[in-house]
Parts: sequence; C-alpha cells; structure tokens
Amino acid sequence: MTTPKRYFGKPIKRVEDPRLIKGIATYVDDIKLAGMLHATVLRSPYAHAKVLGIKTDAAKALAGVAGVFTGADVNAKCGLLPCASPMPDQKAPKHTVLAGDRVYYAGHPVAIVVATNRYIAQDALDLIEVDYDALPVVSNPEKAIEADSPLTHPELGSNVSFTWSLANGNLEEAFQKADRVIKQRMVHQRLIPMAIEPRGCVAQFSQADGTLTLWTSTQIPHLVRTLLPGMVGVPENKMRIVAPEVGGGFGSKLNLYVEEALCSHLSMRLGVPIKWIESRRENAMATIHGRDQIGDYEVAFQKDGTVLAIKSRTIADVGAYLQLLTPAIPTLTGLMLTGCYKFKAMRMDVTGVYTHKMSTDAYRGAGRPEATFVIERVMDLIAADLGMDPVKVRLRNFPKRSEFPFDTATGLTYDSGNYQGALRKAQQVGGWDALVKQREQARQAGKLFGIGLSTYVEICALGPSKIMAAGGWEWGCVRIEMSAKVTVITGATPHGQGQETSFAQIVADELGVPMEDVVVLRGDTASAHYGRDTYGSRATALGGTALIMCVQKIVAKATKLAAHLLKSKPANIVFRDGKFFVKGKPKNSLGWRVLAQEAYVAKNLPRDFEPGLEASSFFEPKNCTFPFGTHIVAVEVDRDTGEVEVVKYVAVDDCGHQVNPLLIEGQVQGGIAHSLGQVLFERAVYDENGQLLTGEFMDYPLARAKDIPRYIMDSTITPSPSNPMGIKGCGEAGTIGATPAIANAVCDALSPLGIKHLDLPLLPEKIWRAISEAKVK
Amino acid sequence: MIPSAFEYLRPQTFDDAINLFAQHGENAKILAGGHSLIPTMKLRLAQPKVLIDLGRIADLNYIREQDGKIAVGAMATHHQIETSELLREKCPLLCEVAPQIGDVQVRNRGTIGGSLAHADPAADWPAAILALDAELEVAGPDGARVIQAKKFFVDLFQTALKPNELLREIRLPATSKAVAYVKFAQRASGFAIAGAAVVIRPESKAVGIGITGVAAKAYRATASEKKLEGQPLASENIAAAADKASNRVEALNDIHASADFRKHLARVNTKRALELAAARAER
Amino acid sequence: MNIQGTCTIAAPPQRVFEALIDPHILQQVIPGCEKMEKTGEDEYNAHLKLGIASVKGSYTGKVKVTDKQPPHKFTLQMEGKGGPGFVKGTCLIELKAQSSNTQLVYTATVQVGGLIAAVGSRVIEAAGKKLAQEFFSKFSKLIET
Repeated sequence: MTTPKRYFGKPIKRVEDPRLIKGIATYVDDIKLAGMLHATVLRSPYAHAKVLGIKTDAAKALAGVAGVFTGADVNAKCGLLPCASPMPDQKAPKHTVLAGDRVYYAGHPVAIVVATNRYIAQDALDLIEVDYDALPVVSNPEKAIEADSPLTHPELGSNVSFTWSLANGNLEEAFQKADRVIKQRMVHQRLIPMAIEPRGCVAQFSQADGTLTLWTSTQIPHLVRTLLPGMVGVPENKMRIVAPEVGGGFGSKLNLYVEEALCSHLSMRLGVPIKWIESRRENAMATIHGRDQIGDYEVAFQKDGTVLAIKSRTIADVGAYLQLLTPAIPTLTGLMLTGCYKFKAMRMDVTGVYTHKMSTDAYRGAGRPEATFVIERVMDLIAADLGMDPVKVRLRNFPKRSEFPFDTATGLTYDSGNYQGALRKAQQVGGWDALVKQREQARQAGKLFGIGLSTYVEICALGPSKIMAAGGWEWGCVRIEMSAKVTVITGATPHGQGQETSFAQIVADELGVPMEDVVVLRGDTASAHYGRDTYGSRATALGGTALIMCVQKIVAKATKLAAHLLKSKPANIVFRDGKFFVKGKPKNSLGWRVLAQEAYVAKNLPRDFEPGLEASSFFEPKNCTFPFGTHIVAVEVDRDTGEVEVVKYVAVDDCGHQVNPLLIEGQVQGGIAHSLGQVLFERAVYDENGQLLTGEFMDYPLARAKDIPRYIMDSTITPSPSNPMGIKGCGEAGTIGATPAIANAVCDALSPLGIKHLDLPLLPEKIWRAISEAKVK
Repeated sequence: MIPSAFEYLRPQTFDDAINLFAQHGENAKILAGGHSLIPTMKLRLAQPKVLIDLGRIADLNYIREQDGKIAVGAMATHHQIETSELLREKCPLLCEVAPQIGDVQVRNRGTIGGSLAHADPAADWPAAILALDAELEVAGPDGARVIQAKKFFVDLFQTALKPNELLREIRLPATSKAVAYVKFAQRASGFAIAGAAVVIRPESKAVGIGITGVAAKAYRATASEKKLEGQPLASENIAAAADKASNRVEALNDIHASADFRKHLARVNTKRALELAAARAER
Repeated sequence: MNIQGTCTIAAPPQRVFEALIDPHILQQVIPGCEKMEKTGEDEYNAHLKLGIASVKGSYTGKVKVTDKQPPHKFTLQMEGKGGPGFVKGTCLIELKAQSSNTQLVYTATVQVGGLIAAVGSRVIEAAGKKLAQEFFSKFSKLIET
C-alpha cells in the first residue's frame, strides 16, 4: 500500500447498479426453462399437531397438476437437512424435507404440489385436506425449560437442544473484590430478516447426463453444492449451483432449505425443470429468523469504572429445528462478549432451547449484535451507577493501541485497533461538546433528550479454517484472455455488496489495466469452482486476497515470458503500470496485449513454459479481523406519545484499508437501517399458541426511507495484519455498532425520570408506559 | 400470493356498474383502487367470483364546485385530492389527510370512495369526512339517496350502504384554513392507530372532530365538541375538550397498541389537532 | 385473545338458560350458522359461513355445552376450521336475575390460527367482539319476542 493506486481507495460507482436500477437484472424468478413446472408448498397452520391424514385425491385430479407429494412420498427418498455446526451435547430431531406424522411450527411444510403454473398449483393446494389433531404448544423459550412444559419434540425428552459454555479468568475473585456489581436482564427480540426478494429456486435435472443444475436465491452456492449431494443423491461433480442476482440475504440465505432439496428431488423424479418462488408470507414464517436470546448479565467493576468481569446465563431460542448454523450463533455472542475492553474474567453459559417456532440462525451480525448490545448497555449502566461520564468509563477499559495484537478474555486475538482514535474522531465530527450543551438546554426546556454511544468491535473475515466447520479460506481465479481483457472469478459470491466493482478495482490496479477491461464473475459453481461464499463480512478481505495471489502468479509467469521475448533474464525484468521491461529500458516495454497473444498463440515460448495466462488461488487467513468504531446518537423522545426521533447520527468506522469508500458507506448505512428497525420497531410476535402474528408487511415494519436520519459518517484506518491488503470488512458493522448506540441514547433521554433500562424494541407504547409509571413514582 | 380465478368486468358508466353489481350480487366485489381488496385476494382470504372495476367510469373521477359545496367523485384518487388546487383553497383538510395515507404507490391508485366504502376502522378518510359533516351520495337499482357522514359508518368494515348500492359522490362544505389532521400511524401498515381530524367553524363557534383508528369504526368526538361549543380556543379549553376525545369508547386492542394507548393517543392527537387548527385560524 | 361483555335480556334467567342451550335457537343466533346437527348429549356439529369485509369463509366445527349449572352458568366450547384458518374457544356464560330481566356476562377465551391469525391480527379481536355482540343482540331479540 505504499504507492498510490489508480483505483484502490477511490469512491467508484458500483458497476452492478445500472442493471439493478433499470430492472434488467436476472433474479431466480426471471429464469424460464422449456417445460418448466411450478411448485407450491402447503404449510401447517398449527404450531404443533399430529397429522392424522392427508387427502390429496382432489388436488391430484385437477387439470394441470403433475403431482402432489407428502412426507410419505418423499422423506424416504430425500435425505435429512443437515446442520453444519453441531454441538457436542446436542440433541436434534430428524429434519425431513416434509413433515411426517407431526408438524412442529406454523409454516412447517406438509405437502408440495407441482403444476403447469402457479395459479393451478395454488388451486390444487386449496384442495388438499389435512386432518390435524392439535397438540400442546410451547412458544416461550423460558417456559420451555420449565419441568412441566410441553415438549417441542417429545421423542427428545427435553426442550434443551444443546448447552455451551465459555469461561476464562478468575471470575469468583473478580466478583469478590469488586466495589460494585450490577445485574441486568436483557431480551434480544426475535427478528425476521425479510429480504426484499424472497427465496426461490429452479431445479433442472438432465436425464441425459445425470447433472443437476439448481438456480437458487442463496448467499452460499458453494456450501449448497457441498451439502445437497448428500440429500438428493447426485454426486458433487454432477451438481451445478447458480446464485443469480440475489435481492438481499442478510444471513437469511446463508442456509440450505428444504425447498431446494425438494425441487431438486422432484425435478429428478418428474424429469422436468421445477420452479418454486416463496411468497412474502412464507418468507416471514419459513425462512430463518434472527436473534431471540434472553440473558441475565452480571458485571463486576471498581469505583473508578474499571470493569473486572462479566458473566451471563443465556437462553437461545433455536425454534423447532437446527438449521445450518443455528447453534453457532450464540457462540459468536460469547466470543465477543467482552467487547473492546481489557478485563480478563468472563463466563457465558448458553442453553439452546427448542420451541414450536421457525428456526433462528444467522441474521446480519449473527450473534455479535447481541454481544455488543450487552457490553455497550453495561458500560452505560456502570456510568449511571457511578455517576460517571460514559465516555470516561469506556476510555478507562480500552486496551491501548500499543497493546495489539490483543488477547481477549474469550480467547481471541484482536488483530489491530485504535479504539481511542475512533472515539475521539466521532466526538470531533459529531460535535460532542455542542451536543452535550444541546442536551442540557433541551432538558431545561422540559424535553426528553438523550445522547448515546457505542464503541464496538466485531469479528469479521471468517475465518481461519481451524475455527470453521468446512473451510474458512477463499478461492479466486484471474485469467488474462487472449485479447488482454481480464476475467476474474471469485468464490466469495458477493450478492449485492459490490465486489464486482471492488474486485475489479483491486485486480485492475495490480495488473495495471483499465478497470473497464476487468469482468468479475460470481455465483456459479460451473465457473467459480471453489468458494466459501459471502457471510461474516469476509468477501473483500479473503476473496480479494485470493485474487491478489492469482495476480502475483500471473505476473511472475508473465515476467518469464517477457524476459524471453526481451532476450533478458526474469530477474532483470521490471513490472510497472502494466508494462514489462528490462531494468533501465522502460521505452522498450511489453504490455499485456502482446504477452497474452504470445502466451496463447504459443509459438514463441520459453522452454517448459505452459501456454496461457491464468492462475487460481486459495487464501487461508491466519486470523480473523476485528473492525471497530464509535457511533454517537442523539434522540428526542416525545413525552406524550413515546415516539423516538433520531436528531443526530454519527458513525465513525474503522474497517482497515478501504478499497472503495462509497461501498463502505453504503454497507454501513444499510446496517444502521437494520439497527434502527431492531431498536425502534421490529419484532416477530408469536402468540402462546405458536401463531406468527407478524407474518406480513402489514404487521412487520422495516425501516423506510423516511425513517432514516441524515448520517454523519467518517472513518479511521487501522490496517489489519490478518491479510496483505489490511482490510477488515464492514458488512455488519452498522448493525453491530448502531443498535446499542440508539438504545443508549433513548435510555439516556429517559434517565432523568429514573428509567434505567428498557428492552428492545423501544416501541412508543413501551416508552409511554415507562414514562407514566415513572411519573407515578 | 396468487388469487383464485375471477371474472373481470369493466363497466363504462355508473349505471352499468349498478346493473352489473345487482346482477352478480354477493359473488361480486367492487374494485375501486384495490389497495385493501387485492392483498386480501392474493392471500385468498377473499375469493370473489366477479370483480367489477370502476376505474374506467369517467364521470366518477372529479373534484368540482357544485351548489356551494365541493363534490368529490368516489373514484378520485388520494393523489388527485392531495394535489387539488380547489380543495387546497376550499376544503384544505382533505389535502392534509391525503399525503398521510400509505405511500406514493397507494395514493396513486387508492380512491376516497373505495376507502370510505371499505370502512376500515383505521383508514384516514373517515375521520375527515366526519369532522367535515360531509354528505355521501349513494345509488343502487332503486335510485340515489344521501347519507350523512355520521350515519355512514355502522360498525367494523360495515357502512350504511345497502348490499346493492355504490358510493357515487362525497359532498363537502367549504371551510376556512382552520383545520388539521394529526395521526399516529402504525409503523408497518401506515394505518392510523389514532388519527384526529379537526374542523373549526369560526362562524358558528363550533368545532367538528373525527377520530379514526381507535374504535371499531371512526366516530365523532361529540363530548369534546360540546365542551368547546361557544368557547374561545384557549389552550386550557382545548386541553379539557381533548381529554374527552375517547370517553366511553370501546377501543381496539392489537399487537400494535393496547386499548389504553389508543385512547390516550386519541386525546393527545385531538389536542394537537385542535391547537394546530386554532393556530391556523389566527393566521 | 379474551372477549368479555355483558347484556341485559328481558326474560328471567331460567328462560334464558334454556334458550341458550337449545340448538334450534343457537342455530338462529350463531352468526353465519347454516346448519347444526346433534352428535351427542349437548354436542353439535355446526356449519358456518362468515364474512367480514371481503374476507369470507366457510367453517365447520363443533359446539359443546359443558359445566351446566342451571340457571346460573354454563360453558360453551367451540372449535372450527375452514379455509382462512381455525378457531378454538371456550365461553363462560353467567346469568343473574335483575328484577324481571337477566343480566348476562360472557367471558370467552379464543385461539385463532392459520392465515387469519397471521395476517388479520390488526382486526381480529374487533371482529371477535363484533360477532359476539351480533350473537347476543340476535338472541335478545329472539327471546324477547
């Protein structure tokens, strides 16, 4: 990073955008194949019931229906849905593709209809008669672990799915010698990811050659290709997975779903391509949910604000089944529970609990927002307890810049950091002193005005393979075509994050070619042979590095060719700005056009020189990265209605070196929007009978344009030593950093009334009630 | 999200629409924008066999002055109302309500008549129509009649329309600028949890107050209105009147707001709307 | 979901009690009831056609009268399913003499599931109340004549 680059670091507009804005991009539902049939899934209205019988005759008899399939028809022929992150003591039910003789959540697939179009398929669905016998339901995870609770899966004998603990340091001593101890329960409500494009897939089995192609709206075509063969019996080398344009994932498409296996299986069975497109209602009830942890937290600290230890007992509601990464989510919470602070003792005990609800799994931030929320709320609670400035409490507990790499109490090694720097910058650009004055004046005028901050750290660029279930590397391929155009293939499967732009920037710089000459391919396992896809803010740091490794190989090879053509030795060749020349003779240089021609025409090559200019690479990182930053928020609460208005939003993020600041700004803005939703209005509501009451956009609110405040955004740059470009990642930073900052601001606004803590979401009615109760006191 | 099959009819005149509606009876639903009906059909909660689209009836879509009143055709869209110069001048309350309905797409398609006839307990128009003492002209096979706004809303999704009648026109009095609509919206749907529409009639020293979102049907806050009758619009009078805005109302209760909160918000928004309208009266 | 209400009926409790467990009368006052068949002592199958706004559906269900304490109280157990979803509920009905009239108090606990629960939460309680009111107002009219 010593010489200035032509593209790296520049705010270049996304090359993806024109096709998206014009509406000419290809999503799964745009794929239309000859002879394609349409599938629709019948789902249980009951959260728990015996299936006494299913009558499909009338549905089968409807003109245009190719088949109606129930669990009895497919479960024996289609494998179980796997969980890729099992826990040692885990008890898990068999996750069949369709329900067997019981249903375990409202939305549980019971039957699938295949017909010539969606209208007929839906008509047929209405003709299926299922005889259910309702059984007792448990939808509250705290009740689920009580002795007399109904069981989610009676055959397991308990609702406890798994337990997991992480502990380090001398906890007892810390709590004993602490000046003060605070206890606080916090509820991390259940959220519905609600990607704008619901899920969907098209499966096409070729009876000619036994290959299966699956177009699916997924973040992880490569992981699907690893896992699906075991379910449908097509070998990996005859399976091609394509993730076309994906209209939002946020973790909800970081999964393998039964519909993908069902459509694949039925395409093989019926010999025709089959399309299934999820409805919004299905998306709400049968695509994974996020969060849903309830924790009791206890923190020990000294009068000067020094934190000694934190411990927590957490219940994680996993829903009815373990999806791909369900058990891993609360473990990420545990690993990040100490935040960006120095204290050395912690303990977290997690109990994963089954309930009759949709599974939880990774949703933007995946376990880290819970951790950050806890530790950042705790910092404010400590400040309130001691009457200290929340900024000072944080400063007292930060590791110094010189202490990095920093070993945390949870066993991680934070790569690099400058927490004081980010905090200072946020205070500076946000006008902290003026904001504090504004609060004073507002309070004097009788207004409920609050300032909140969060100084967060997260774990990204997941990750070294040793900590991952099936490889934490990333793969890439770069090819200089004969015409000297450059084809880049990434295994990282970006799906909206903008790497078609940033990877082109990286490769164009390294090769010294115009960005316009570089095309980035993604999302198709036929071209991107290997990959570990996009999640955990990993694509740029890992996928980008794999591409740099490719370029290095190509340049080394091209250097040999140039030496041969210039009648010199490779050691004497200089490569600069896309030109190869003999040291000291830059005027007599060879560019990629000539070298590519020679490499492929292959008539004048050095001895033992393989034709072509192509290289592929796997990058295996040594460590994760740990982006960090400070968000500052000011809010005003309407005393009469409980509504929260965000008056000021300041985000200073440090994600290491920045390939494209515009992309980073977009990622952080989107992340904050998700946080605004989580803090102020989003929640999945299940009633005590396991009915999802927020199953549509009529009842589940997402943040809209008018809800988004003007952001003041800035950054600090602390390169990561974990990868050669020094990149940390930023896909989830907004969601992780913003949630506690907004909540802290609201709690600060309410603090003059004696209100210490409110759980999310901070709905107007909840705030109004808290204010009313405070008045009574 | 796929509706069941239906027959689609598109009458060209209002009389044709009445005839078709009479002919198909309860098998038919009227399409007047469709922003409540179509979602219900896509979920197959509604499966009408016949859809009668009023969208092409030219003489149902107008906003004009007529016999000293403002006449709004049932098929006038929210957007047309929002941007009507005539209404801004003569009946500004409607221009204040319209932009608070749904979003741009909804306002471009949804119609005032469709909304009123649907009688959603949380729709915005009913509050305004009540506060303004509007008249609604309806017509069926047996001819036309006029229903006063306060008699139009009967119960949850239930109006004084007979099963074979259609709403044709909404007639509004001209008002001063001393009007206001203050709404607390449900986050997801945008429907009112409590919306208060206020019309101050300086000439008669009276106010009209319509409340929506709070009860099973929109209502006139008559206790509040009486409290202000003949009184100056001083802040203590306004507060005392607003305090009665949800007296004796059986309020709705759902996951978005409890009955208590709705009643509270009805008081708050009535006060705010009265203050706003009073301030506009002074200008 | 809980629905509570009271109404006054111009008839003595004994008469009200008998009428309320009489299937011929129930059939006339249960909103949308098209048919009721006796399946056992105080047990009936019912076919309902209900509509609120454009949401119309057919339901089949069971009605059962239990815990009879004439003429003071009894419990009505109901269960129904149809295209839009399912409903399950119990309704305690208590009767008190009030001069020559009866004061009736009903307390119902209702479980709603399926599509109507998922997309109708905004109006479902109001709809339940409306149906209950319809039931008792029809009933009073019927018994008072």
